[in-house]
Amino acid sequence: MTFQQKNITVSLASFSLILAFFLVRVFQMIQNDTFIATNVFRLWGITIVMAIVTTIIGTILTHIVSAIIEAVRTQEEPDVEDIEDERDQIIDLKGTRVTYMVFSLGSLLAMLTFVFGQPPLVMFTALIFSGLVAQIIGDATRMYIYRRGF
Amino acid sequence: MGKSNVSNNIRKLRFNHDEMTQQELAKQVGVTRQTIIAMEQGKYSPSLDLAFRIAHIFAVPLEEVFSYEPED
Repeated sequence: MTFQQKNITVSLASFSLILAFFLVRVFQMIQNDTFIATNVFRLWGITIVMAIVTTIIGTILTHIVSAIIEAVRTQEEPDVEDIEDERDQIIDLKGTRVTYMVFSLGSLLAMLTFVFGQPPLVMFTALIFSGLVAQIIGDATRMYIYRRGF
Repeated sequence: MGKSNVSNNIRKLRFNHDEMTQQELAKQVGVTRQTIIAMEQGKYSPSLDLAFRIAHIFAVPLEEVFSYEPED
């Protein structure tokens, strides 16, 4: 497994956990009748900060752990293959395209909830939900292309 | 994206060049080993730039490394 694949795996796992956290918090708010603007926007902020922080920390940790495993395995100076070559870039672009497509569809559905008389909070919640789902599907696509071979 | 119409002799050329490993070739042309593996398996067609770099490493013309087989 290359560094890029490990990075995608970490991203996939962290965004899945963030999505799970987001859904649990939304359902808790609905159950407790605390689905109000302040709480929803706070959750927005927490989710976005978590996404940024886990992406950065995930990349750094992946690099460090890969280097340690490589050093232990080979008993030599670690040589982590962290370059992104043309094939990685093409796969990344394909994943990004899927991410944008899913997010565009999600955004449209979010707008439709507003059109069909739902409160704006539902639209904002659906918007960030579609963003997280889009990222997960994009990462899954990248992983699938790496596994299948391209 | 399955098999491409571009085939190559990279594996054979590596063997003829002191059994060069995939890792060594990857390092010399500036890509990952996975890309070399994908090319050897015919699952990835490299860019023109990379194709020329590979041919340059083996000191052979491009046509000796890559060949195109049109679909019937």
